[in-house]
Amino acid sequence: MTSGSAAPVDLASTRDASARTEDVSGRADPQRVLADRVEQLYGQMPLGMAAHLLIGGIATYELWDDRTRDLVLFWWGLVLLVTAARAVLYFGYRASASKLVEAEQWMRWLAISALASGVTWGFAGAVFFPSHTDEQQVFLAFLLAGVASAGIPAYAASWPMFAMHAGVIVLPFTYVLANFGNRLFTEIAVLVPIFYLINVGIAYRLNRVFLSGYRLRHAYDRLTEDHTRLNKQLEQQIEDLQEARQEVEASGRKLALFAERAPISVIEMDANSTILEMNPVAEHMLGYSALELIGRSALSTLFPADEATLTPEWWAQFVARRLPANRVRARCLRRDGLEITCEFTITPLVNKTGDLVSIIAQCQDITQQLEAERLKKEFTSTLSHELRTPLTSIIGSLQLVTSGVVGEAGGEISELATVAERNAQRLLDLINDLLDIDKIESGKFTLQPESVRLDELVQESFVLNKSFADRFGVGLEVHGAVPDVRLHVDRKRLMQVMTNLLSNAAKFSPEGSAVEVCTTCVDGMVRVEISDRGPGIPEDFRARIFTRFAQADSTTTRHKGGTGLGLAICKRLIELMNGRIGFDARPGGGTTFHFELPVLVDAVST
Amino acid sequence: MPERPLLKICYVEDDDDIQRIARLSLERVGKMEVSIIGDPTLALDGILAFKPDLVLLDWMMPVMDGPTLFKRMRETEGLRDMPVVFITAKASQRELDELRGMGAAGVLSKPFSPKDLPEQLRAIWRRLP
Repeated sequence: MTSGSAAPVDLASTRDASARTEDVSGRADPQRVLADRVEQLYGQMPLGMAAHLLIGGIATYELWDDRTRDLVLFWWGLVLLVTAARAVLYFGYRASASKLVEAEQWMRWLAISALASGVTWGFAGAVFFPSHTDEQQVFLAFLLAGVASAGIPAYAASWPMFAMHAGVIVLPFTYVLANFGNRLFTEIAVLVPIFYLINVGIAYRLNRVFLSGYRLRHAYDRLTEDHTRLNKQLEQQIEDLQEARQEVEASGRKLALFAERAPISVIEMDANSTILEMNPVAEHMLGYSALELIGRSALSTLFPADEATLTPEWWAQFVARRLPANRVRARCLRRDGLEITCEFTITPLVNKTGDLVSIIAQCQDITQQLEAERLKKEFTSTLSHELRTPLTSIIGSLQLVTSGVVGEAGGEISELATVAERNAQRLLDLINDLLDIDKIESGKFTLQPESVRLDELVQESFVLNKSFADRFGVGLEVHGAVPDVRLHVDRKRLMQVMTNLLSNAAKFSPEGSAVEVCTTCVDGMVRVEISDRGPGIPEDFRARIFTRFAQADSTTTRHKGGTGLGLAICKRLIELMNGRIGFDARPGGGTTFHFELPVLVDAVST
Repeated sequence: MPERPLLKICYVEDDDDIQRIARLSLERVGKMEVSIIGDPTLALDGILAFKPDLVLLDWMMPVMDGPTLFKRMRETEGLRDMPVVFITAKASQRELDELRGMGAAGVLSKPFSPKDLPEQLRAIWRRLP
């Protein structure tokens, strides 16, 4: 009776599809799938309610007679009541804003309404079947079978709901048939549950297909979302890459421009020293055109066979280490056979994966520079020797005269010999100062530091400069106690600084005054102050007092003597000894020169 | 420190004027016996003949410079242990260090003070082992 007419649905293809898309289905959100099922079930409700009313009306009309009039009316009232309740439920669901979140609750309400609907028809079967005529019984059986089987599509999204709905229709009816006392009806009563179970089975399988469909739909929705997001990311990345490419191209153009216009040779090579590119300055320096050198080995073409620095072994190590090499000096062979000395800065270009992309060598021809350095050194050495040798004779002779070793000279002779000796000494000082400043500024000056006691240093400087100060009628005085500390300094050079500052102070002090030396020790630094009562340092001279050949007034130089290099040398020497030097105007007139040097820590003062 | 005082000096110097000043300084101020040798190629024989306590050597001289003469002395029997003091107009620290490194007893700079030269040499003499 029920769904014997319903053909089994061929689900083989959908089963395969489910298997194929198993992974994809797993990506669906279960809550969304449930909400979709609920929506599907509620979507069937208007048709279900209309059919319920229509079939209920026809049944009421057909079953109407005087005997059962009240019962039929009650049943019709029940049909109307259940339909009204389902309508309320339907509109409630449609108006709900929380279909997704409360999907489970809506499913439960719907199950209750399906049960109520089924009960209505189960009641009709159980109550009206025994009391009516044979024709009416056939009508009822047909009616119940139709209503029950119509539940399959209506409740396809929930097979338990169908089972419940059909169960409450079929079970009371089966009970009535079994107890009717008719053999045919008894046989039908046996068949009805079988048909019921078959229908439940079909509903179950149909339900699986629906579920799979919903899951697939959601999974594909999600995949589509992912795909859209990935597409957007991809588009953004492509955009970024295009921007980066434009930047790289711009940088490349800039670099090419730098290389082309740079006043330095730039040669690009690969790991085998094969020349890949070179700029015009490199062409000019080496005497080759780029076309002649590109593709040739730099090692075998540009360097003489006996080159000791840039050898194939050195190159192999450089390529293996992949670290930049700075100031590499090597001899190079020009195209015309001329040998030049070049200074290279060689930089390996390595990509992120550590592969060597290329090697950039920047180089300068320093042949002339080296020759100039050699000549300067030779000149300085010769200057030193050739000037000092005659000065040795001049100063030596004059000293022998003035000291009376070779006999007493008369008053004016002795006086003039003293003038000559003093000026020869000035000449010697100038030579020494020039040599000092040259050595310091060329970076070839080396200190010979040792541990020196501060009090001994001050005492020794006084002994050395006393006779000079006496000439100007100026005294040398120490103010306060000298701290009992040691310094790690070049004794001779620090004495040079002290002598310079003391002699300057003495020169510019008024006769009868004293040069004062004050020493303090604060925060690990010794401060030595040398103060005079001289005229002070003119405002416009202060900024350049420590520069070379600085003299406040050139007439002073002639009057007082001095090379104009002394303070420049002092500043550089103190800085070489990790100290600092400066000066202040002294209250009450005069100047205080001061320098600070670090105290030698952990030294025992003895 | 040697037990005897420094009395005999041999000075190898090509410059006549400096020779004269040095002689005056060492003889008159220092009261020393002095032998001056102007030609460094004759110095080895001269020193051997004079048998000084200490040799004063100029660095830059024609034909043979002071360091070369110093090396020859070190190779000559009788002069191998003779104390040598260089006297030079060169001012570079590196050059002075080089001379000390060769085994010189001392290095003095030109111009020297004739008043102080004998005392400077005696100070070096006292420091000798």
